[in-house]
Amino acid sequence: MRETRLWSWHLLVIPIIIVLLGLHFAVMHYAPVFYGISVEKAREFETMIERGKSVTQLVLYILLLAAALYHGLYGLRGIIRELPMSPALGKIVDYSVIGLGLFIFAFGTYVTWWTYSFKIGG
Amino acid sequence: MSDKTTTPREITFRVRRFDPDLDSAPHWSEYRLHVHDGMTVLEALHQLKAQQEPTLSWRSSCRMGVCGSCGMFINDLPQLACQTQVLHLGTDVVSIAPLPNYDNVKDLVPDLAPLIEKHAAVKPYIIYLDQIEIDEPSGEFLQTPDQREEFSQFTHCIKCGLCLAACPTVATDPLFLGPQALAQAYRYTADNRDCGMKERLSAIDIFHGPYQCHLAGACSQACPKGVDPAFGIQLLKRALVLDSIGFGKKKSSVAKIMPLADVVKQLEEFAPPPRTV
Repeated sequence: MRETRLWSWHLLVIPIIIVLLGLHFAVMHYAPVFYGISVEKAREFETMIERGKSVTQLVLYILLLAAALYHGLYGLRGIIRELPMSPALGKIVDYSVIGLGLFIFAFGTYVTWWTYSFKIGG
Repeated sequence: MSDKTTTPREITFRVRRFDPDLDSAPHWSEYRLHVHDGMTVLEALHQLKAQQEPTLSWRSSCRMGVCGSCGMFINDLPQLACQTQVLHLGTDVVSIAPLPNYDNVKDLVPDLAPLIEKHAAVKPYIIYLDQIEIDEPSGEFLQTPDQREEFSQFTHCIKCGLCLAACPTVATDPLFLGPQALAQAYRYTADNRDCGMKERLSAIDIFHGPYQCHLAGACSQACPKGVDPAFGIQLLKRALVLDSIGFGKKKSSVAKIMPLADVVKQLEEFAPPPRTV
């Protein structure tokens, strides 16, 4: 793929991360301000499961996961590949980073889905 | 009080020496020379070679900042020896080493092959897709002063390689195309006579292309011709992004060809006045 497209996405996901991370902070760390509950209460297992049942939260968290993973791993790949290495090793780094990203995304999506479908007491 | 930048005096030259046939590693040699106002580092080297060290090697030619041959690491900065006056350096000890980020051929001679290879890789020439027009030109390309201004400063590059020596990215990533080649890639893609963006993509739209630039700007500071390659890299990024989303150079914006008959007519129109004597 053209490096320009990869680099453009690296920049384009920044506003997405800012907005979604802002929402995450509002939910987790500024709960007293936005939801009228204490931070401790916001972090309780039951509250988390309750929040996780929202389709909006499911979609937004998966989107945040994808955006943050892409941005972070593109940066990581850039740092690693700047080290002196052969083109073949560079390709291995590329595919390893893609593999790592897909694995973390799959795991994160599974956890978010598990939370969404979790039944308390069931 | 005497001015350190003009007072003639003895200067110590610390020159990094390396002869691949004799030395296993580079070493420093010191020479003392009486330097007068206006003497360049290149002139000093010529005097040292003539009077003290006949085996001292470096590369130089024009002596006036045009050929770009005498790039050296003078007092830890990449500079042209012919444009750098010894007393203007303001130090009593002047260190001279070969350009960093290049292999060392001998003494102050760097191996500029990577510079030339990277330069050639970006196809630094006008690519016009109409082969018939290239083989049998029907006229001249039209280019307005504004169109020329888009890339004008980048035509001043003399390929001295100082920008690559100054670049911190090249220091860690030797495969990085570097400021010289990338600025030249922009120079040609921005030219309204050129249609070669697609042909250059495989060389420039790569990991070791413009996105590896750390934005240090050291290249622009080092350039002896006042070119701003760091800016060229940013302009190239913009051109690549626009091209990737379908807003690249349109066929309609490629230079029109003025038929030869009109060129002759225009030449007659702007002909000099008849001689009076």
